[in-house]
Amino acid sequence: MEDKNIKIVTKGGRFITLKKLYEEHQKSHKEQANLPFEEKIKILIDLQKIAYSWGRKKDVIIWGE
Amino acid sequence: MKNTIKIINKLKKEGLIKDYAIGGAIGVIRWTEPFFTRDLDLFIILIQEPKDKEIIFLYPIYDYLEKIGYNKWTGQWIIVAGVPVEFIPAEGLSKEAVENAQETEYDGVKTKVITPEYLISLLLKAGRDKDKIKIKMLLEQAKIDMDKLKVILNKYNLNKKFQLFIND
Repeated sequence: MEDKNIKIVTKGGRFITLKKLYEEHQKSHKEQANLPFEEKIKILIDLQKIAYSWGRKKDVIIWGE
Repeated sequence: MKNTIKIINKLKKEGLIKDYAIGGAIGVIRWTEPFFTRDLDLFIILIQEPKDKEIIFLYPIYDYLEKIGYNKWTGQWIIVAGVPVEFIPAEGLSKEAVENAQETEYDGVKTKVITPEYLISLLLKAGRDKDKIKIKMLLEQAKIDMDKLKVILNKYNLNKKFQLFIND
């Protein structure tokens, strides 16, 4: 069986092929690309907070704070 | 970032810069999914073309920012309203990128962002690994005017680099 046809079970017992999973990932990247600029910057600030605390990057400046 | 943009717009209004556009990672994020970055890169066109092409003075900008209370630095970045900012004097390709940047609004404040075609060209010119990742994201996630991109790549002799990137 080709790797991409491997089925996996996701949330709610849904069966999905690996190929479909990759496609959905790709789709979600594109959806995020279409978010308003302001929303993207909010996400960036969350990423900076994660890098600062969880990633222990203490030299990261969390924007606007 | 809204207050930072407001202050940068003031620089333009006060005649300290002729024009500017957001580039770098934040410029890319305008067109792609968000990703981590530390700073805001601003490509600026100076009021006067520097007489000596080898020396560009940015201190009038920093003097002004200091006067209005922004004198904190971290590395090469000046902190403007809580955001580390780098001013990059635009010339050649980057100057054309600023001139052709998209006018937009950020939270009701007018600003300009470099278009994906110019961002790809600038990133291609820089050519670091992290730039290549951004080019890939732009090609996959942004709407690219391929005709426009080809014209820019031709003009700045970046065709070969682009082909190498595509074939990589």
